Amino acid sequence: MTRIRRLRIAGACAATLLIVAPAAWLWQASLLPPAYSVMDMGYADEGLRASAAPHGQHAHMRHGDGTRSVVDLVADPRREPDVDVTLTARKQRFRLASGREVDGYTLNGRSPGPPIQATAGQLVQVRLVNESVPDGVTLHWHGVDVPASQDGVAGVTQDAVGIGRDFTYRFVARQAGTFWYHSHQVSHAQVAGGLLGALIIQPAGRPEADVDVVALTHLYHGIRTLNGSESDVTVPAPPGTRVRVRVINTDNGPTSTWVSGTAPRLVAVDGTDLHGPTAIDHAAILVTAGGRADVEVTMPPDGTPVRVQIGGPLSVVLGGSAAAPVSARPATTLDLLTYGTPAAVGFDAARPDRTFRYEIGRRPGFLDGRPGLYWTVNGHLFPDVPMYVVAEGDVVRMTVVNGSGEVHPMHLHGHHAIVLARDGKAATGSPWWVDSLNVGDGESYDIAFVADNPGIWVDHCHNLPHAGEGLLAHLMYEGVTTPFLIGGPAGNSRE
Amino acid sequence: MRTVYKVLAYIIAAEVAVQASFVVLANAGLDKWVAGGGVLDKAVMESDEFPFPEVIGIILHGVNGGMVIPALALLLLIVSFFAQVSGGVKFAAVVLLLVAVQITLGYAGHELPALGALHGLNALLLFTAALHTARRARPATAGTPAGTPTATSV
Repeated sequence: MTRIRRLRIAGACAATLLIVAPAAWLWQASLLPPAYSVMDMGYADEGLRASAAPHGQHAHMRHGDGTRSVVDLVADPRREPDVDVTLTARKQRFRLASGREVDGYTLNGRSPGPPIQATAGQLVQVRLVNESVPDGVTLHWHGVDVPASQDGVAGVTQDAVGIGRDFTYRFVARQAGTFWYHSHQVSHAQVAGGLLGALIIQPAGRPEADVDVVALTHLYHGIRTLNGSESDVTVPAPPGTRVRVRVINTDNGPTSTWVSGTAPRLVAVDGTDLHGPTAIDHAAILVTAGGRADVEVTMPPDGTPVRVQIGGPLSVVLGGSAAAPVSARPATTLDLLTYGTPAAVGFDAARPDRTFRYEIGRRPGFLDGRPGLYWTVNGHLFPDVPMYVVAEGDVVRMTVVNGSGEVHPMHLHGHHAIVLARDGKAATGSPWWVDSLNVGDGESYDIAFVADNPGIWVDHCHNLPHAGEGLLAHLMYEGVTTPFLIGGPAGNSRE
Repeated sequence: MRTVYKVLAYIIAAEVAVQASFVVLANAGLDKWVAGGGVLDKAVMESDEFPFPEVIGIILHGVNGGMVIPALALLLLIVSFFAQVSGGVKFAAVVLLLVAVQITLGYAGHELPALGALHGLNALLLFTAALHTARRARPATAGTPAGTPTATSV
């Protein structure tokens, strides 16, 4: 072998190493340990702080070292439940309301699971029994600001409930509104497979509407359903009656709802009533993934039927059996930034104690050793994402920016946030409280909330496969810890 | 190594052609499905299900374009260090660069559909570059510099 040839081969090897070594290093660095705590994940982001003054009360249920565990953050254990339900989860082939059989998950033999009805102020107790879901299950009360231990996030607030085990959830349903529940273990598969149901909390006293309709939309293996039915949901409603249609989007993408036959009002979003909602003249209402929209209509006096279309193919048809024509989606979408009239929100969002940024991007890299194009939070790939740290009582402001090329329905657990502005344009309509916010590509939202529910809360994309692809961060209260692990013996999924 | 280099470049060119066929397969399937009453919305797009069988085309387009082709292009560059093809590293680098541009345009097209049109044009560039790269790597005959066409080769 000549000297030149040897040099050439050495050069080629060096060049190869230059390409392979960084890739190998990135691959190795991305591997996740078999078990880890979310408290050790990523890096603490204390936010931009207004002052160093101490906040809130940190008095009760402290451990000796000044911390408290999420498991201690519970509803009053002595109080008797007002609503007591047992839900048994199974992995099975089951029959939809339409009669078609599909493979998936059920609660008490059906999917969607039984609607849970409560009245504001009641203590709801749900015993979850896992009969046959191999990966384990949990229940998350989507939109209900429950005590941290009841949030149902496997690996953060509890262990996944294995086959033959059970877990009892207890929370006070403080806020009347439309909510839903679903598994938060391997959620991209279990929610799509049907481990979910509606949770309706009626206001104490007389209901606001004469007729109350739940319209839970879900795609089972590509089969579009409303309350498990493949056909329109028809509800009798005499002329003059007020009907509230509670649209719940359980899928992974935003959907739209629009009404023909009368001009509806959008009376609530994400379980919170809007202030001064006016009649909507020819505009569609966008309901993001995980989000809810309560649409109210007053039945026309002449007996004209009303059609509330959801997504397009399926509708809630109100009124008699007369034909209600299908209409195309209106080109305009209702802008909640200007809908309704302003009202007090109960805190001063203009003077936040902490200001955070949640910027969503996308770049190639490795996630647990798998190459791909992954979502980033503030430029970092999972698990190197921010842990937003707050103190109890803080007014928190967060700017959510999406430059990732796709829409993301961002869902913050345990809190409702108020939308202050979109793309710098201030909200001028009704207070717009969200738990699931549709952040379109290129959009930026300013939101604010009061840190009044101590715990460790996930703040993630409710396009559930995206959460699995790393679009998931946490909000952590100072001094709150969790004993649970992602992975570990319970097999808690990282989503 | 020269043969490996050549074969890899040919495979990349073939892969680009396969990519084009995948996407049209999916598009045709979508047309047929919608014509039969199917409704496509974000919920369907984001589900793991196959609303129509030809949707496999778009899935394979993503896996092939996002993983297989870049891996092949990277391999081509590495092989080029050893293959001793005149200008081989340069052309392998051009192929890799065009692959990177192609992926960027593909994803950017979700945001700006006009960039999707450039994705189509860049595919032709990549196809040509890969083909040219492969053809340059034919075994050199005595006195004939690599890359010069000879009468006997195809």
